[in-house]
Amino acid sequence: MSGNTEYYTCAGCSCLCDDIEIDLDGENAKTVKTACRRGSNIFLEYKENRAEPAIEGRKVEFEEAIKKAQELIEKSKSLAIYGMDTIPIEAQKVAIELAEGKEAYIDNSSSYCLGDFVEMVLKKELPTATFDDVKDYAYVIFYWGVDPHNSLPRHMSRYTYYPRGKKRQRGYEEDRYLVVADIRKSHTAMLVAKNARFIQVDDDLKLVDAFIKVIDKQMPEKYADDAVRVIREMQKADFNVIMGGLGLRYGLKGNYEKFKEMINKMNEVAKVYFIPAGCHANMRGFNEVLFEKTGFVNKYSFKDGESSLDYAFFELLKNDKVDTTLIIGSDPVNSLPFEISKKLAKINTIVVDPRKSFTTQIAKVVIPSAISGVEQGGTMIRSDGVRVKVNSLFEREINDVYVLERLKEVVA
Amino acid sequence: MMRFTKFLKVEVDVVVARNAFIPDNKSSKEYLENVAIAFMQEEFAKVNGFKENDVIKITSKGRSVNLKVKISDIAHEKGILIPNGIYASYLTSFDGFKRFKAEIELADGEITKPEEIIEKLKG
Repeated sequence: MSGNTEYYTCAGCSCLCDDIEIDLDGENAKTVKTACRRGSNIFLEYKENRAEPAIEGRKVEFEEAIKKAQELIEKSKSLAIYGMDTIPIEAQKVAIELAEGKEAYIDNSSSYCLGDFVEMVLKKELPTATFDDVKDYAYVIFYWGVDPHNSLPRHMSRYTYYPRGKKRQRGYEEDRYLVVADIRKSHTAMLVAKNARFIQVDDDLKLVDAFIKVIDKQMPEKYADDAVRVIREMQKADFNVIMGGLGLRYGLKGNYEKFKEMINKMNEVAKVYFIPAGCHANMRGFNEVLFEKTGFVNKYSFKDGESSLDYAFFELLKNDKVDTTLIIGSDPVNSLPFEISKKLAKINTIVVDPRKSFTTQIAKVVIPSAISGVEQGGTMIRSDGVRVKVNSLFEREINDVYVLERLKEVVA
Repeated sequence: MMRFTKFLKVEVDVVVARNAFIPDNKSSKEYLENVAIAFMQEEFAKVNGFKENDVIKITSKGRSVNLKVKISDIAHEKGILIPNGIYASYLTSFDGFKRFKAEIELADGEITKPEEIIEKLKG
């Protein structure tokens, strides 16, 4: 990227593509180049479906919504702060300060998404790499339980499989070996052709076991041919990478020790790295910021000074442990099981979000904010751990940092 | 003409996955068109008597939604795939967050609107 062209950052997913070209007509994005379909729409349609300040469904002035939210937070005896996956780390830090000041619980979607993998990476229990390394050196590129074609549309074209890199100059057909493990033939699995393998996996733990057994020269119960072939390919190169998604996370059923054993075994015979392949733009940012402060990546109680499954947002709701929740840049009604999210309608739910969502429809208080990458910049952390400066189209005065600083006044 | 499959209930595996076509604007027509869908393979649909654009009722743990059938190879052989979103969340629990069992059958009505789920949530 060079010359006079200004490049913007798409905060639509954890790829955080910072090569987006936009032709502006005043404050309207006229054309968007380089972005994927979803990313383009974020810029082209940013004025649509915007949240408005509201109290119990009644439209109010912004200041009134702030005051009401402050009152609810101040009166709360048990507050949970949740979300923050789509806001810059500068705003996440303010939310953490608010949680600390109020001795509240704090969590993001990673507690049921890829937080466990991020924690293992941050604790150096899994060897990891950056996308730059993957682009330059990776031979076997193994997507396990993730369909980047749909969830991370430019992952393969910008960072991993398709680009030519320093040691990968001959194109993906010859210089890469693609492996896709999934329960179904996803769009990503459909790309498996020459120099590639699709493993239709019914039981992820048996595939993990197959890799371990093959390396130990034993016969696995299932997936023997797949494991032998993939290990043989990994041994051809000095850099291979496994990208693990939600399918892997749930397929492991909590047996992370077995997965780490598999990665360690693989590294006895080849060089293999792991990168979490998650969706939300700055989920990892929150994990890292909280980790730096507390040593834990999510589901943290500032009152108890520890992280526990009991403090996961969904557990707190399920067990009626909170009277008030502050949800920032997240739509749990869309993503959490009904039995959990219906609790949000019974307690004081405050939503800070630039857009209307299903959760804003049941919230006691709605406070509009700014769209990351469009109306607010800052810093976000990509799924490979690289910090990305988010260059936005505009900077609005009312953004997540501003809103959260205002809410923090109650504990100042 | 009455369809025999109208009376047939089929137990299936439901897989939940992301769909790149789902926009951020959840009030839009495009959102509904891309999220209120149950993908199934052609052979599975044929064997069980479903056709493209049929409305099917999906029931899991006592909760039901009506979604539109779309024939696609991205579904697995033994069931249906539904996109990540409010319908999947309505049917799931953390016991089977991204993969669970459900019964499917032909439905008489229209697809379920997100507002119907929101009303139940407020319930």
